[in-house]
Amino acid sequence: MIWIMAWRNIWRNKMRSIIIMLSVAIGLFAGIGVQSLYDGMMTSRVRNVIDEETGHIQLHNPGFKNDYEPRYVIDNGNNLLTKIRSIEGVKFASARSITTGMLSTPTGSAGVQVNGIVAEDEYKTSLLKQKIIAGKEFNDAAENEIIIGKKLADKMKLRPGLKLVLTFTDTTGEIVSSAFRVAAVYESSNTPLDERNVYVKQATLNNLLLCGNAFQEIVVLLQNDLDTEKKQKQLQQLFPSLKIESWKELSPETEFMVKTVDQYSYIIMIIIMLALAFGIINTMLMAVLERTKEIGMMVALGTNRIRIFFLVLFETVFLTFAGTPVGLAISWIFISYFHKHGLDLSGMGKEMMNRFGFGTLIYLEFPFDKLAGVLLIVIGTALISFLFPALKALKLQPAEALRQ
Amino acid sequence: MGNTVIDAHNVNKVYNPDTIPVYAINNVHLHIEEGEFTALVGPSGSGKTTLLNLIGGLDKPDQGNIVINGVDITQLSPGELIEFRLKNIGFVFQSFNLIPVLTAKENAEFIMLLQGAKKATRNERIGQLFKEIEMEDKLNSRPAQLSGGQQQRVAVARALASKPKFVLADEPTANLDSKSASNLLDIMARLNKEEKITFLFSTHDQRVIERAKRVITLVDGKITSDTAMVDTNILHAEIK
Ligand SMILES: Nc1ncnc2c1ncn2[C@@H]1O[C@H](COP(=O)(O)OP(=O)(O)OP(=O)(O)O)[C@@H](O)[C@H]1O
Ligand SMILES: [Mg+2]
Repeated sequence: MIWIMAWRNIWRNKMRSIIIMLSVAIGLFAGIGVQSLYDGMMTSRVRNVIDEETGHIQLHNPGFKNDYEPRYVIDNGNNLLTKIRSIEGVKFASARSITTGMLSTPTGSAGVQVNGIVAEDEYKTSLLKQKIIAGKEFNDAAENEIIIGKKLADKMKLRPGLKLVLTFTDTTGEIVSSAFRVAAVYESSNTPLDERNVYVKQATLNNLLLCGNAFQEIVVLLQNDLDTEKKQKQLQQLFPSLKIESWKELSPETEFMVKTVDQYSYIIMIIIMLALAFGIINTMLMAVLERTKEIGMMVALGTNRIRIFFLVLFETVFLTFAGTPVGLAISWIFISYFHKHGLDLSGMGKEMMNRFGFGTLIYLEFPFDKLAGVLLIVIGTALISFLFPALKALKLQPAEALRQ
Repeated sequence: MGNTVIDAHNVNKVYNPDTIPVYAINNVHLHIEEGEFTALVGPSGSGKTTLLNLIGGLDKPDQGNIVINGVDITQLSPGELIEFRLKNIGFVFQSFNLIPVLTAKENAEFIMLLQGAKKATRNERIGQLFKEIEMEDKLNSRPAQLSGGQQQRVAVARALASKPKFVLADEPTANLDSKSASNLLDIMARLNKEEKITFLFSTHDQRVIERAKRVITLVDGKITSDTAMVDTNILHAEIK
């Protein structure tokens, strides 16, 4: 009886019921949407870190990381490289010779990290090739070629074909200088890194560093992101004397960002839920106050408080459960679309997004892992908000209600 | 007759005791026996509604005892009062008697449903009562589709459906035209006679008063007359 009344009551004021239902739907959609956007952004950020910056895992001589002194090479590096490439789950591994130094042009100078790469290998572990926006890749014939980032090129007024001088210390501690010609300019989605990293041929750099065919860094790219920790442990066991770090340690700010954003997304959820709660409280309160006389009459006739409570509860439950599938459907459609086509956030400023290392095209993911949590929060909010109007209905004094 | 249904002693009700006190019911004694058909009359503001609310357990007196069927309802907790009303008292209000989302039949069986009566029992009783109120063809109409008189008849059917000890009706005919009013009174009188259900109703209406077997007059919260004969002088002065 009570639930039949609740059901019919919902249809008394269709507009109002639709508004509550939509509030629940929109609350759910907003919650899922925020989660999926943040998930998408974080996935994009992590992808960028792995693909453009660090790879999954890097190996160094423990001494190297202190000052980036090139004399701390990886002992027996080429052997290791071959071994690592044959480990199961490893997609590829490449070697980099690294030193830090000064890049100078007639108009100025800048501190840079010089990466000596074997082009074909590098292209398999990072997206350097895809990021080139001007000029050409390394030419086999030319030795002293360099690829620099766009930000640095703009700052130093460099472009392909122009010359510059790199100055750094070699493995013996002597200062060396050499002139390079800009072969290409690249642009990634992480501006600060573009400004700092320049690429030259490994052979050329090794000659200047006097380190033969040794190098300072091995970058490992895995088949599967989720294997990172496992493979890191495995490598550490194989090569206990090396410092072996995953992208989480190499880019701690990314790991931190992922965690922080997770918390933020819940704060935003709470704000959305507060809005939803006020909407429901307000509407259900109106529904109760409007029926003061009717509820008073029911109490006068002998309807006990439990039944009145359930009457209001059922009305809220019906509206909430009607809104939930609608919200899920909207979320699904929205996320599916932007999962395929990507959500273009360049409106927020490409510059800004890149400064934080995000791509501007975010591919949304349906946050299945967080769905239960979001559902629980939305439905919980709706049911908690119902308590206030329900208590109001319970407090009605029949004699007073009937006089109105 | 014999059995006492309502026994009110020294009842007082004051509204706003802290600001401008209104002595709505002043030292009222009232004794009603089973099978009575009694009208409560008096000018507007004389305390009719207040007294009916006190007797019906919708409100608590500030002083005095109200014993219904041997139970002093002034001693009951709010929850017990609701239960007591459900089991013992039928109510008919002046207006807005019915639950809009329920049909005439569902409204009439509402109390029986709350009491947990079986479906067969309900159907039989409602069928019989709808015959009495001549609304067998309106069983499935919603209140909004019924006239004021029809709505009040359904309310009377609801009040009687569970065979309560007595029925309290606060100006049941106030919103009705004279034909509907007299029709409702016919039904109430007939059920009073046939089912021996005690009625206590308040009214302004001379024609309704004439149908009562006993008339209690209330002025300024005090009972000024209690008689089987209608004192036409007082009434003419009060109704205008
Ligand atoms: N909730 C209240 N608060 C304050 N005063 C009230 C309240 N209810 C009723 N009164 C006052 O108590 C007195 C009796 O009111 P009551 O409604 O019982 O009169 P009544 O005889 O039913 O009048 P009517 O014929 O107009 O329905 C009136 O003076 C009224 O103003
Ligand atoms: Mg009144």
